[in-house]
Amino acid sequence: MRNSSLLAFAFVAPAMLVLLLILGWPLVSAVILSFQDVRYVGTEPHWVGFANYIKVLSGSKLLSSIGLSLIWVVANAVLQTMLALAAALALNERFRGAKVARTWIILTWIVPTVVVVMIWRWLFSTSGGMINPLLIQMGIIDRPIGFFASPAGAFATLVFINSWRWFPFITLMLLAGMTRIPGDLYEAARIDGANAWKRFTRITWPLLKPTLGVLAVIGTLLSFNVFDIIWLLTAGGPANGTRTMPVLIYETAFKGYRLSEAATVSVIATILLLAFALITARALDREEN
Amino acid sequence: MKRSLAVNILLALTLLALVILVALPFWWVISGSFKLPQDIIARKPTFFPHSFTLQHYVKLLANSAYTTYVGNSLIVATFSTLITLALAVPASFAFFRLKFPGRRTLFRIILLAYAFPSIVVLIPLFGMFTKLGIIDTLPSLVIVNVAFALPFSIWMLRSFFATVPKEIEEAAVMDGAPPTVILRRVMLPLIAPGMASVGIFAFISSWTEYVFASVLIISDDKRTVPVGFAGIIGQYQIDWGLLLAGVVLAVAPVVILFAFIGRWFVSGLTEGAVK
Repeated sequence: MRNSSLLAFAFVAPAMLVLLLILGWPLVSAVILSFQDVRYVGTEPHWVGFANYIKVLSGSKLLSSIGLSLIWVVANAVLQTMLALAAALALNERFRGAKVARTWIILTWIVPTVVVVMIWRWLFSTSGGMINPLLIQMGIIDRPIGFFASPAGAFATLVFINSWRWFPFITLMLLAGMTRIPGDLYEAARIDGANAWKRFTRITWPLLKPTLGVLAVIGTLLSFNVFDIIWLLTAGGPANGTRTMPVLIYETAFKGYRLSEAATVSVIATILLLAFALITARALDREEN
Repeated sequence: MKRSLAVNILLALTLLALVILVALPFWWVISGSFKLPQDIIARKPTFFPHSFTLQHYVKLLANSAYTTYVGNSLIVATFSTLITLALAVPASFAFFRLKFPGRRTLFRIILLAYAFPSIVVLIPLFGMFTKLGIIDTLPSLVIVNVAFALPFSIWMLRSFFATVPKEIEEAAVMDGAPPTVILRRVMLPLIAPGMASVGIFAFISSWTEYVFASVLIISDDKRTVPVGFAGIIGQYQIDWGLLLAGVVLAVAPVVILFAFIGRWFVSGLTEGAVK
């Protein structure tokens, strides 16, 4: 028994050590940094108590970024899940090429973010992009529109691009949930004369709900953390309309050179995420029981 | 199995929408990269290109350190993958099979680490790596990539261990084999698809990572593809042909890799995950 514990620790320790050093310790340093006044990496710190928190909480930047992050997370979760559900239902059917389609749907996720950004910056651009001419040809608009010109437009466009990148990942997870639904359930329903819609609402949906719940949580956390797509496309603009929390953290640290303030926002973001994770974990646990 | 006409029509429409959504942007980019500059910015989009040229590719390879970036990315992604596997396999075996105090708590912490906002550790890590003197080196990126790939890898592998029939393992235990031997001789061959999936996950995560690679790497000759690519965007603001050629070359290596082992990854995700 003692031996097996020792062995288990030997197996787990290296991985835990890496996580501790690369995620755990920096998190502690961020907390320490938030109580100090440091502007650049390497300058001598001095303690300032809650001054950074008071400054950050009394400014308008933090509140607006929390609000934008919230809308961002909800909008992405809704769009991603809807796209993924439609895709998963279709790919779960048997048809010629289904296997190939199931493998290659992930294409948008294996491509570097920078490339995703590049593709859509070109497609949405007013000079040379494909979207504007296409919409004009279809008669939906009569002159090119600047998708990144207004805060709301830029925000919506970013939600689309981010969901485009992530929905295949959710699709595969949903397919995983669907393959676990026993086929004879559908056979029995078919014999009882249930149509496709009934089979979906009575079998697929209820049995898929736990998977959807877990995925909504994962999707929410992943969306919250999205930084590179937003930064590379709009850098938080126009008029700070896309400055979510991660963007604010990066901007404060590396453009404004106020490391301590950035660390303070980081700590607040971590607390918010942790609270969300704990509340949803409890809710999911309760649903299971 | 027979489907009704309505369901078939719905299925066909959904598949068409999927193809338009996923494949069409890539088709536009690939075909665009071979078009003459004036055709790229033509007012009317053409599905099939009217011109063909390799000038953008020639210009890209001649004027930028693109091959260096690809080499760096290959080194970083390969080492990240190997180290992630070396750490994740024993850890998830321990989480799944061995009993030890604090197992549940540690596993919860690993799940939390998966959702961790990476931007939070960017600032302290920058300071830490500067003090250690490993800033602007490829190993610093490997360390970061491993830390970010580990939580999901351990989680995913754990469900693969769960698919191994208990009888096979019990037979080995009856034969008096110690856990290390059971892991190596019995489990590893059986979870090979899981290891392939985790390997692809780690490789792709490292290949696509941008934020840390852009902050921790300073010299141009140590940049990875995403950062080098972003640099090219900055250098030539409106040369779309060059950028499209860059996109194609940045995507090609992962797509080729995925063509060979992608189905392992997908079946791995669909059999192993969400448990």
